[in-house]
Amino acid sequence: MAEALRVVGRPVPRLDGFEKVTGRARYTVDLVVPGMAHGAILRSPVPRARILAIDASRAERMPGVVAVLTAADLRDIDPYYGQLVRDRPLIAIDEVRYAGEPVAAVAALDPATAQEALERIEVAYDELPPVLDLDAALAGGAPRVHARRPAGAPPEAEGNICFHARVARGDPEAALAGAAHTFEHTFVFPMVYHYAMEPHAVVAAADGPAVTVWTSAQHPFLVRADLARMFGRALEQVRVVVPYVGGGFGSKSYTKLEPLAVALARKAGRPVRVALSVAEACLTTRRHAARVVLRTGVDRDGRLVARVATSWLDTGAYADNGPRVTARAARRVLGGYRCPHVRSDAYAVYTNTVPAGSFRAIGAPQTIWACEVQMDLIAQALGLDPVEFRARNLGRRGEALLDGERPLDADLEAGLRRVAAAIGWGHPASPRTGRGLAVGITDAGAEPVASAIVRLHADGSASVHESSTELGQGVRTVLAQIAAEALALPVERVGVVASDTAGTPYDRSTGASRSTTVMGLAVQAACQEVRAQLAEAAAAALGAGAASLCFEAGRIRAPDGREIAYGDAVRAFFGGPGGELIGRGYVRGGGRWAPPPLFWEVGWGGAEVAVDDETGQVRVARYASLADVGIAVNPPLAEGQDEGAAMMGLGHTLFEALRYEAGQLQNGNLVDYRVPLADDLPALETGLVEDHNGPGAHGVKGMGEGAINPVAPAVTTALARACGVVVTELPLTPERVWRALRRARAQQAVSAG
Amino acid sequence: MEAQGASARPVVEISLTVNGRPHTLAVEPRETLLDLLRMRLGLTGAKLSCDVQVCGACTVLVDGLPVSACTYLAYEARGRQVLTIEGLADGEGLHPLQQAFIDHAAFQCGYCTPGMILAAKALLDEIPRPTTDEIKHYLRGNICRCTGYKKILEAVLAAAETMASRHG
Amino acid sequence: MLRPFEIHQPESVEAASALVGRYGDDAAFYAGGTELLLVMKEGLVRYRHLVDLKTIPALGALDYDAASGLLRIGGTVTHRALERHPTVRERFPIVAEVERLVANVRVRNVGTIGGNLCFAEPHADPGTLFLTFDAEVELVGTRGARTVPIGAFFTGAYETARQPDEVLTAVRLREGGPQTRWAYMKFGIHERPTLGVAVALTLDAERRGIEDVRIAVGCVGPVPARVPAAEALLRGAPLAEADGPLERAAQVAAEGADAVDDLHGSAEYKVEMVKVFMRRAFRAAAARFQ
Ligand SMILES: Cc1cc2nc3c(=O)[nH]c(=O)nc-3n(C[C@H](O)[C@H](O)[C@H](O)COP(=O)(O)OP(=O)(O)OC[C@H]3O[C@@H](n4cnc5c(N)ncnc54)[C@H](O)[C@@H]3O)c2cc1C
Ligand code: FES
Ligand code: FES
Repeated sequence: MAEALRVVGRPVPRLDGFEKVTGRARYTVDLVVPGMAHGAILRSPVPRARILAIDASRAERMPGVVAVLTAADLRDIDPYYGQLVRDRPLIAIDEVRYAGEPVAAVAALDPATAQEALERIEVAYDELPPVLDLDAALAGGAPRVHARRPAGAPPEAEGNICFHARVARGDPEAALAGAAHTFEHTFVFPMVYHYAMEPHAVVAAADGPAVTVWTSAQHPFLVRADLARMFGRALEQVRVVVPYVGGGFGSKSYTKLEPLAVALARKAGRPVRVALSVAEACLTTRRHAARVVLRTGVDRDGRLVARVATSWLDTGAYADNGPRVTARAARRVLGGYRCPHVRSDAYAVYTNTVPAGSFRAIGAPQTIWACEVQMDLIAQALGLDPVEFRARNLGRRGEALLDGERPLDADLEAGLRRVAAAIGWGHPASPRTGRGLAVGITDAGAEPVASAIVRLHADGSASVHESSTELGQGVRTVLAQIAAEALALPVERVGVVASDTAGTPYDRSTGASRSTTVMGLAVQAACQEVRAQLAEAAAAALGAGAASLCFEAGRIRAPDGREIAYGDAVRAFFGGPGGELIGRGYVRGGGRWAPPPLFWEVGWGGAEVAVDDETGQVRVARYASLADVGIAVNPPLAEGQDEGAAMMGLGHTLFEALRYEAGQLQNGNLVDYRVPLADDLPALETGLVEDHNGPGAHGVKGMGEGAINPVAPAVTTALARACGVVVTELPLTPERVWRALRRARAQQAVSAG
Repeated sequence: MEAQGASARPVVEISLTVNGRPHTLAVEPRETLLDLLRMRLGLTGAKLSCDVQVCGACTVLVDGLPVSACTYLAYEARGRQVLTIEGLADGEGLHPLQQAFIDHAAFQCGYCTPGMILAAKALLDEIPRPTTDEIKHYLRGNICRCTGYKKILEAVLAAAETMASRHG
Repeated sequence: MLRPFEIHQPESVEAASALVGRYGDDAAFYAGGTELLLVMKEGLVRYRHLVDLKTIPALGALDYDAASGLLRIGGTVTHRALERHPTVRERFPIVAEVERLVANVRVRNVGTIGGNLCFAEPHADPGTLFLTFDAEVELVGTRGARTVPIGAFFTGAYETARQPDEVLTAVRLREGGPQTRWAYMKFGIHERPTLGVAVALTLDAERRGIEDVRIAVGCVGPVPARVPAAEALLRGAPLAEADGPLERAAQVAAEGADAVDDLHGSAEYKVEMVKVFMRRAFRAAAARFQ
């Protein structure tokens, strides 16, 4: 079945290796643009207030200050942006909606002066009662985070509901009423922070009709579109350049800091650099906290008959990507299970907290956790083995779980059995240890729109121009491999040019596990175009039929054994010392890709966990992760994605939670916000399923997100088996586990006594 | 960074060696070593991330010992040898750790990498053949949000082996 | 962002102390800066003068006197120096062991023992351990020198008995005899410890009875503190029958712990953990006789 591949499927060293291990890789924070001033942002100290007045005159008079930006400077532009719902001004206008919201910004000749100037800006606030969590936001008569309806708000948005998504089929209430067993559980997932190690950074120049930004953005073309619309420019006038990015995970998706930086640069009349601190990045975006209520009915044979899910997602003060996250949550909560009667409602809810947006596998960790833990609880209640119970209900390959959805493209049961074996499922565990498993499927929201240009140079080397952002996932390496394969070139002869909307062609976004699949096809198509041209050039030079030529390692051979190097063919074509062949590749949406999603991203996980029942401390001793990738274009890079995702999952499972008190973030720094460290690494094993059946080049499908999803449920259920207590709120901090254990002991004592 | 209104801003003159080259500079006492390296010497390999000495993105070696350049005054480097990632390779000849990080795909975004490699170098200078637990302990102060650490540990072990075999 | 300040490089303790005496609230001693620079960056404190203590050679000394068994740790000795010093490892292994678990290697390379004790951040380790050594703190100020028992040194969260112009010149520990073993247990999932318990256990010559025990609890409340009532319950008990007294002692220690709610957890939980880790630390110390 598999084609003979030379480059794809091999552990090719990363293209960015030399730069990254020698410190030469340039990130936005490293750039110095001539004449650049330094920006600093004044942030709201209160979660909700009317801005009565801003007096920036003392700051403006400070020597070294170039400009102070406030809402008063936005009158000639459209200051609002947001994916789907355009509810966010680039700087607060009349009202602040969360503590940490930008209220004013300063550009100064040096960073210290900019910081000092912030203290000389006086803002008069009229504090208003905030809504700080889901309950407060949903209570009758709750103050509204957005009093006026923002542009793009869906019709069902009312009160503090920002967005509502529903998936329905059959008659779930009736089916529940008739089910042999019914279960209801509530699960709570915390607010978590991406901590991409490079905080958001932008250098913006806007002193004429052209606007240029260098930014740590994941989606340069979407940023370009927002800037063009907001500042009244043609797309052609806006240039977005993305150097290396120090991690994204969704935190740098869509538009974040760029409009503020451009507005400040416009006012300053010179380039301005705005580089956030980690403390500020914590005030910029986060993952949605969630409460998920699951009611599930099961028949006598242990088959799911009905599911009613309600998911509440705390989207914070602005919608950001909340609507899409919510739409995904509504589906993902159902898991990979067959169920005839379903209703799933998911709501994005505004609160006066940091806006929530995309984060690795949007909407999935919250909901898959709920779904999978409940599956275990049901199995336990019915006295069934959790693997067998799941196997009985998992959809089969080729089966569509919901109408209008792509049939499953993976064998969910086989994967589950594979991770079960990997962690010794079924074998006795030592005391105080337990094992748990989970499977998560996500409908990757990748939009199949991308373009690529491939240039074959006169020395036979090639450059790939495309705009997938190198966030660390290795996209440039993988695309170079796909190009090298398609061009029959050694991979060392292929370069990939960094994203720059003025020089690299359109790509919708870098996220949702899409680039290798979608951009890979665009690159492959562009290479095929080049190859067709090259064949003609070589055919003319060699006097052979184009179809009879054989391409290998940068040389073209005619049936009679004569050869020509690519570069010679290019030069012969142009009849001079130079020249280059240009191929273009488009990937367009529409028919070919229906039904959604483009592919299922499936991740399985198995955990072995030890618990200290005196302290409640949970230690993950072993973790096995398995992902369905179609084909691993570069196996170590694919493993690295899953290892990183699994460890990130351990973070929200064990430690991570942003904590608020009275509307103020309490732990927005790395001393108090604990992420996984080297010594938290369990015995970690990653496996890849390669069925060559994805929609991308050589059968690849997206990966890198799926592995985060099973972690929390696998660990939670392993913990339950280790100590008999199910904890339905994350993270599993020692104190939370200890409290659960204590409650269980008290209940036991009561029932025994 | 010629600041304004700074008539009386105190300044101290320091001499230090960075990547083998001597420098004599006037620094403000409040200037961090990280700012000095990045903004004045153009050595941007060391990165700023947490700014509270937890993450290690800013790790450089001072007289061979890792420090958090984000919270370490440039003044402290007077008379000392500073090694940054830019000074580790010998031209195009990579240090065994750098090569091992490439061979084992031990980085992704690369933001933690300069600090991680320097911390690992200090570890191997101190313990040439560390155990996995020793590596985990030593590197617990260098966060990597991308890789999940597994390949970093593999790379450090491999580099230790290469270095040991070279030194006989 | 750090505000401008001047740095002073005194060559003697007297000069250092005089500088802080002169500039008053506008000046602070500066050692590794791992705490000080952080709070200055955050704008929580502002000083126009930092008085570098590392330019005073004597403060960096680490001396051990075999005859008296006294270890004198100079105020600017770093955590890392303590962790790695051959004499400390040999004669005071518990000190090296605890120091190895302080912060991360970069903070240990730069942070000093004097800075750790003087900053008196409640979530710290050495102070708790030193309580079980009955350590003595040497202070030298414009009005002369004095020695303060470590038990009287910590007066509150971020507060000590040190006068603003006093330099912590050294902390002195006395070696335990052949019949004493230490254990230190540290707990928490945060960057800084949530709880620390130190136990110094001295057995009689036959190693049957508990001749003496010193127990200190740190991090849960504003100051690390000994728990004399708990110690009293254990003193004199036969080691083989220590479980009962240990249980009661743990209870007493927990009741006496001045635990507070914070990001590390609730006071209620911390109190329970004091019990757990006191038992564990005691047993670990006892196990070291084997
Ligand atoms: C990320 C991180 C993690 C940490 N984790 C731990 C941990 O796990 N356990 C633990 O115990 N500690 C921990 N710490 C604290 C660490 O031990 C201290 O930061 C360090 O010891 C302070 O020493 P310093 O020399 O840097 O003090 P500085 O910051 O220089 O000074 C601190 C204070 O003490 C005063 N001072 C300093 N030296 C003297 C002296 N000799 N006489 C009088 N006054 C003086 C200064 O004026 C200042 O007010 C951690 C710190 C950080 C940053
Ligand atoms: S930036 Fe210095 S330790 Fe994180
Ligand atoms: S490679 Fe991105 S943080 Fe380590």
